[in-house]
Amino acid sequence: MNVVTKHILRFFVLTFLQALIFNQLNIGFGIHLMIQPLFIMLLPFELGVIPIMGLAFLMGLIIDIFSNTYGLNTSALVLMAYLRPVVFKFYGPREGYDPLKEPTAQDMGTRWFSTVFGILLGLHTFWYFLIEIFEFSRFFFILQKTILSGGLSFLLALLVQSFLLNRNQKK
Amino acid sequence: MRNLIAFLQRFRIFLVFALLQVLAISWYVTYLNFPRNQYLTTTNDISIQVLEWENDLTKHFNLSKNNTQLQWENIYWRKRQPQFMYQISRAKYKINDTLFEQQYTYIPAEVINSSVTRRNNYFTINVGKAQGIKKGMGVFCHEGVVGVIHYCSDHYSLVKTVLTKDINIDVSIQMKKSDLPGLLKWDGRNPRYGMITGINNDLRIKKWSKVVTRGGSGIFPKGLPVGKVSYTEPIEGQALWKVEILFSADYRSLQRVYIIKNMHLDEQQALEAQIPADEE
Repeated sequence: MNVVTKHILRFFVLTFLQALIFNQLNIGFGIHLMIQPLFIMLLPFELGVIPIMGLAFLMGLIIDIFSNTYGLNTSALVLMAYLRPVVFKFYGPREGYDPLKEPTAQDMGTRWFSTVFGILLGLHTFWYFLIEIFEFSRFFFILQKTILSGGLSFLLALLVQSFLLNRNQKK
Repeated sequence: MRNLIAFLQRFRIFLVFALLQVLAISWYVTYLNFPRNQYLTTTNDISIQVLEWENDLTKHFNLSKNNTQLQWENIYWRKRQPQFMYQISRAKYKINDTLFEQQYTYIPAEVINSSVTRRNNYFTINVGKAQGIKKGMGVFCHEGVVGVIHYCSDHYSLVKTVLTKDINIDVSIQMKKSDLPGLLKWDGRNPRYGMITGINNDLRIKKWSKVVTRGGSGIFPKGLPVGKVSYTEPIEGQALWKVEILFSADYRSLQRVYIIKNMHLDEQQALEAQIPADEE
């Protein structure tokens, strides 16, 4: 499958998975599952920061419109897109990334993927709840929501990545 | 000039990032209070169509529970119908329609999209300007209050539920002797529990006493159920109670709501506009 088609397909699948299924799920304990950061994570290595931020903005806009959050997802996704190259650079190999590989757990190893994606998802989720709640006196509540929602979203992203998106790659 | 271009070149990534962040956050801050454009909310044509399809699929999940609720509600009202009652004294008790005038009328609606896990939760319902809905009307379900209309397009509306940061519905606690006024708030933790502020702690509040709306602002009629007091605690340093209530409605599985139209609201507001403003 063509690389561009694959990413466009991922964009729509993950956006509507989030807007129509994970937004409606109510697990309790204030947990809010988020799958959309996985799309930003899986974009190719050689793509520049500005296109990534543009894509993040577009994706956040669609999800915000579907869930009445007015710019909350957009802000968090743009932050994640901005920080992605910084984290990638910090954990990258010395000679740079192989352009033929993709930032997935299959190509780069589970350890690398979980470290980098864990950091980015954690920052994304923390920013999301910080803006949403916006009361510094309730910092521990923000932290609690970040850890619970971030942890479950991380497991969900690993599952989706290995079951749904891996099948696309083999074709 | 060259310096400026060099500066823009060097920091262009950060500048694009800052621009996008400012756009997103200003959208968030302004729309929390005054939504202006329907295309940036769920009431736009495309997203409402998709959510309608989704609702057509998922509304059957709670069908039997909803039917049972409606049946109980029917029994409740049937018991209060005068023609089904036994008349004790025919001369004493009769309905006199000229003494009472209808003040509130209700419009039924269906919830198409809802959320309860966020800090500010909105419901999308399938009535709008075409049915006479306006911003600021009250919304309730048969178990209790739901919220107020936040924004309406032609055929759909957004409801700002009581599960938001600043809904400020005035409610009173119903007790045997006193009607204590207070403001309903939500702290963002659990969609089953809310809070009431503004009640002095020299007054006693019994646990599990009922909380109903006060009806002062004309949005809700008097006596709509809100919940029950589940926990009270004095706030340190203030002469106020911290009151936690258990909502009588379960907002997680809400499907049918009613919108309240107060026919005397314009009159009340015109009268209240006569109050002279405080001059500083």
